[in-house]
Amino acid sequence: MKRMITLLMAVILVLGMFAGGAVAETAKSKIVFCVNIQPQLPVEYWQSIADAYMAYNPSVEVEIIGQPSSNVDVFQYEKTLLATGQFPDVMVMQNPADFVPSGALLAFDEGELDYLLDPNIGKIDGVQYVANYKKQVIGVFYNKDIFVANGLEVPQTYQAFLDVCEALKAKEILPVSIGIKDGWPQIMLANMLAGTDLLANDTSWGIQRNADTVKFNNPQLVKAMEKYQYICQNYAGDSLPSITYTQMLEQFFTGKAAMLPMGSWVNAEVAKAEQEFEVGWFPMPGDDNANVLSVFVNEGLSISAMTKYPDVCKDFVKFFFADKALYSDFLKGEQLFSTTKESVPYEMIPLRKYIEEAIAGMQEVEGFESMTGDAAFLPGLKDYYTNKLTQNIAIGNDVATELDNFDKEWDIAKEALN
Amino acid sequence: MKHNKLYDTLFLAPGFLVYIIFMIIPVIMCFLYSFTNWDGISASFRFIGLKNFVNLFQDASFFQALKVTLIIMVLTTLIYNILGIILAALLNDTGKLLGFSRSAIFIPTVLSAVVVAFIWSYVMQTNGGVINAIIEMFGGTKVDFYATPMTTIFMISGIICWNSLGFFVVIYISTLTTIPQEIYEACKVDGAGWFYRFFHITLPLLAPGITINCILSVAGGLKQYDHVKVITGGGPGGATQTVTLFGVEKAFEYNRRGYSSAAIIILFIIIVIFSIVQLAISKKHEVEY
Repeated sequence: MKRMITLLMAVILVLGMFAGGAVAETAKSKIVFCVNIQPQLPVEYWQSIADAYMAYNPSVEVEIIGQPSSNVDVFQYEKTLLATGQFPDVMVMQNPADFVPSGALLAFDEGELDYLLDPNIGKIDGVQYVANYKKQVIGVFYNKDIFVANGLEVPQTYQAFLDVCEALKAKEILPVSIGIKDGWPQIMLANMLAGTDLLANDTSWGIQRNADTVKFNNPQLVKAMEKYQYICQNYAGDSLPSITYTQMLEQFFTGKAAMLPMGSWVNAEVAKAEQEFEVGWFPMPGDDNANVLSVFVNEGLSISAMTKYPDVCKDFVKFFFADKALYSDFLKGEQLFSTTKESVPYEMIPLRKYIEEAIAGMQEVEGFESMTGDAAFLPGLKDYYTNKLTQNIAIGNDVATELDNFDKEWDIAKEALN
Repeated sequence: MKHNKLYDTLFLAPGFLVYIIFMIIPVIMCFLYSFTNWDGISASFRFIGLKNFVNLFQDASFFQALKVTLIIMVLTTLIYNILGIILAALLNDTGKLLGFSRSAIFIPTVLSAVVVAFIWSYVMQTNGGVINAIIEMFGGTKVDFYATPMTTIFMISGIICWNSLGFFVVIYISTLTTIPQEIYEACKVDGAGWFYRFFHITLPLLAPGITINCILSVAGGLKQYDHVKVITGGGPGGATQTVTLFGVEKAFEYNRRGYSSAAIIILFIIIVIFSIVQLAISKKHEVEY
């Protein structure tokens, strides 16, 4: 009996010690930050932000979580966290329109994001849910040596682009590096063409599509997608369906392909690849001009509507942009464009500097499938565009029929929301 | 030893609890969600009757996924069982390389489906793939395994079979070892040759193995997810998408958990029907000795 009593007391003592610890811990506000772990932005980088913030505000504890595996999309992972009641307090966010209908995101108050260059990007019904942290531009990277050797110049019109492709093909050089196996890389070319032929002429097209006053199957988009199909079918080689993003890069950086339509994150690859040629860049030209630039501004930081510490979370988001050293590290990884009013210098490669100069004064349109705010695609349709529409068109399916199917998918997705 | 029902229950309880939590409850919940409009993330949803099922039967992409699933199921079931029986018959012998051969056939089974799919998807690349490199080395023309959806489905089925054939062979070998040698010897005395013995003794007495292998291969084929996910992701344009991929896509990309649940429930019903029919047919052909 004595033994039992002693044991019981020991257990109570140990539990008491833990409870004491717990009380001490709960004095801190703990927030969970869900991040997108990538090769350029490993968990260590995100942890450095958390550490810096905890040093700046010792009463807060920041826990970093990320997608459990590199082949899990962090934005889908966030949906599972929400469904299982583990929604993080702060998170990287790409498709707020997927989360807003369920009331999962906290709105930023008017003026709260005034430190951003354009705090109105991506507003949904006039409300901002994302602090946009990066801008990426889409363009065509090209092998300058191949162009020079073949007497080619940067094309200023779509026809000139086709002439360049034809000249390269005649010399048995793969004109464009495109592959559809991974599902997403081919959308860069499709986005640029949709940008020049549709969005540049009608900047509110995305909003109109959401209002159901326009359709995907319209003459401008049909024209853009037919151009995309023509390039895929004639100038992307014979193994389009089996080419991955990595192989696209490999084809370009080993000099097998002359052009690579891709986002500005390729600058990071240019910086680390040991290619034996100079890389150039130009925006995909339209019929009569080369002055339209497709950009991605669809990613940033969001806060959970269920967080216990909304003020702490907002302060944390502000801190992310305010700490110039950390923010410039973030931008440097992919040679990104900052979104803050104050410029954030970092070590840029010459090509990145050139792009910044070249795009000055261009008409910017959002990446077609990544339009933000009231122009955003309905849940799921971004994936339909990448994994079905642009793949089917690339392999030669009828463009108008595919766009018709896209319209039907839109109607189904809209009905599902109601 | 005294049999105690309380102990039986206690020892069974942990496993039973795990089974209930991770199998029974999710199936019941999936069944319930299939009648709702739940988006998978909202706190609330409403019951919409059979609307998800009605929409599914009007959804061409669901039927495409069902078609792909059935093709993969038929191909893998045929390969597993025909090749499995042949290999088991060959390996159920004594020989110098028997141990090595058995191990060689079984080793891929222990590899992760994801790893196998990654490796083979690179091996089968049109440009830079090992197979095409060998073909070109001997002066042949490159084969584009991704050329059409059907060739891609054949390729995927082949990869799935390479990965799991060993498991089915092992079941066949173990069934073969239960066949008494006296029957073969008596048959030999009567002058029967190898083919006669195979078709009139081995095959009928293999029926229990065939039953279990057919059920497992049909269910496995219908549930196919990982290989397709890695090799094509269901593309191009959903042409190689299976029902499970369709379900995951609708649930996590389209935020249509109710609709996705309905698709999975239909798959569940198909698997149950196939299994019952197979069991009924196979039982008829099983031979007692």
